[in-house]
Amino acid sequence: MSTVIEARKLTKIYPMGEEEVHALRGVSFSVRRNEYIAIMGPSGSGKSTLLHILGCLDRPTSGDLTIEGTNVLQATDNRLAEIRNRRIGFVFQNFNLMARATALENVELPLIYGGVRRKERRERALAALERVGLADRLHHRPTELSGGQRQRVAIARALVTEPAFILADEPTGSLDSKTSVQIMELFAQLHQEGNTLLVITHNQSVAQEAQRIIELLDGRITSDSGQQGVGA
Amino acid sequence: MSLGEAVRSALWSLRSNKLRSFLSMLGIIIGVAAVVGIVSIGLGAQSQVLDMVSALGSNLIMITPAPTLGRSGRMSSDAVDVFTMEMAQHLQEMAPSLTLVVPQVQSSGLLLYAGANLRATLVGTTPQYTQVTNYEVAAGRFLHALDLEQRTPVLVLGSRLAERLFGEVDPVGQVVRLVVGDRRYDFVVVGVMAPKGQVALGNYDNQVYLPITFVLERLLRTNRVGTLMAQALSAEAAPQAVREAEFFLYSRLGTTDEFSITSQDEMLETIGDVAFTLQLMLGAIGGISLVVGGIGVMNIMLVSVSERTREIGTRKALGAKRRDLLLQFLVESLALTTSGGALGLGAGAAVAQAVSKYGGWPASIQASALAVAFGFSALVGLVAGVYPALRAARLDPVTALSFE
Repeated sequence: MSTVIEARKLTKIYPMGEEEVHALRGVSFSVRRNEYIAIMGPSGSGKSTLLHILGCLDRPTSGDLTIEGTNVLQATDNRLAEIRNRRIGFVFQNFNLMARATALENVELPLIYGGVRRKERRERALAALERVGLADRLHHRPTELSGGQRQRVAIARALVTEPAFILADEPTGSLDSKTSVQIMELFAQLHQEGNTLLVITHNQSVAQEAQRIIELLDGRITSDSGQQGVGA
Repeated sequence: MSLGEAVRSALWSLRSNKLRSFLSMLGIIIGVAAVVGIVSIGLGAQSQVLDMVSALGSNLIMITPAPTLGRSGRMSSDAVDVFTMEMAQHLQEMAPSLTLVVPQVQSSGLLLYAGANLRATLVGTTPQYTQVTNYEVAAGRFLHALDLEQRTPVLVLGSRLAERLFGEVDPVGQVVRLVVGDRRYDFVVVGVMAPKGQVALGNYDNQVYLPITFVLERLLRTNRVGTLMAQALSAEAAPQAVREAEFFLYSRLGTTDEFSITSQDEMLETIGDVAFTLQLMLGAIGGISLVVGGIGVMNIMLVSVSERTREIGTRKALGAKRRDLLLQFLVESLALTTSGGALGLGAGAAVAQAVSKYGGWPASIQASALAVAFGFSALVGLVAGVYPALRAARLDPVTALSFE
């Protein structure tokens, strides 16, 4: 199985006035295709920082990060934007949909930045919305959709570019328990279909759905249920 | 992101925020409307004034007496007593660039007809008067050389005067009584002029035209005429004609202080200069409101950028590059000001039309003025949009995404 993410000794230091905050203190792990991983940890454990670095929104202070063989540290800002666009599918806790755009327009957005032509864009957005079960909500705006439906639109938006992996940040954090279950079922289905999923959460039941759980504390990995598979 | 996408998304964003878009456009709308309205009305007024001057005649040169400066016990001379009939004749002979020299003397008197009386400006002149002033006879005839030679008591009426004094009656052939001072004369009306309207120096339609010889010898008892109107051979010959007339009069009067010579071109030029300065000034006022409008647009763009910080972060996460966001916000600002500009063009043109319709003032709406005003609104959009767009483009994605 091919490696999607290769993280080696990632550190992140934020200057905080006089002092320095060590958000990550040497994090190493790798992710192979079609893995379903939950990254867990209490607040302040560094999981948000890890999310930003894995999502190419921020650069580590030291260490190495390779996504599908591309070294992220040496990439320019524009190159990072391209990596985010083509290889990473973001799912946010608060959905982060364009409030005035329809479901279809929201899903098309990353394809616009990817320079995909209009006709193809429409077709791919339609297909993505069908995959998440929203074929009948194409022209609804976020305000006309339930929380679960909004998160499905966001998931369709993450899927539409066929990314190397989906990076979800507390995907059920704004949803009730019943809807949360439905979203987790959708994640399981996407995993079945061959997608690579990274879910960052502090919710045990969400983490239990994953194949592999990485636990973070004080910027270090304290346990990794998939560790045995990595070195082999 | 392509430019087309950016334009589509900008228009969409403006549409979804209609009231705010309109309010922030208002300054631009008013600015452009002011520029277009003012320039159109100004150009219209200018062309009307120029028409008035042109209506004076063609290639006209006005030679008028000027009062001399009194000094060392000598009085400033009366401005009227300079030219004579004989001078007019000689000037025409001596100045090859002049085709016609028409002397003119003005007075005023009372016209009496059938119990009605009307005060009128009397113009004593020669038959060539109609040629230099492009004036046409509507009925009967104008003055004739014989009238001058024989001091015939005939007169020609301006159209308005004829209308007021005679009403429905045909004036040609009627006898009117003319009272000047304590003298009375009976005149035969031999012609009525066509309407000419308001011309630079007065209204021709309210004047009476008499043989100049009669006016000088019987009415005023003087040999001095007022103004000399001359016609140059062509527009090109006008400056030369002015010099010739100057030289002739200098040689006769021994001074250049007692007269002044103005060619029609000079008058047109002066009026053009004044009108241009005026327009520039008014245009600048419109320009200021455009600048103020631009500041308003910049403000609203800054508000929009900070309001949409999370959106910007999301767009960055989805793969938007700096230039995508720069383009997005620049195009939004441009869309804001150019749609304001377009509305302003319409409003300005409408105002100009309304003023010309109800104010009796002509408006000349010119494509070049529209283009300049519209171009300016686009420029304002660009300038006002650069800073907010740069701020959006430079936002750090992590900070933007965690913005509450």
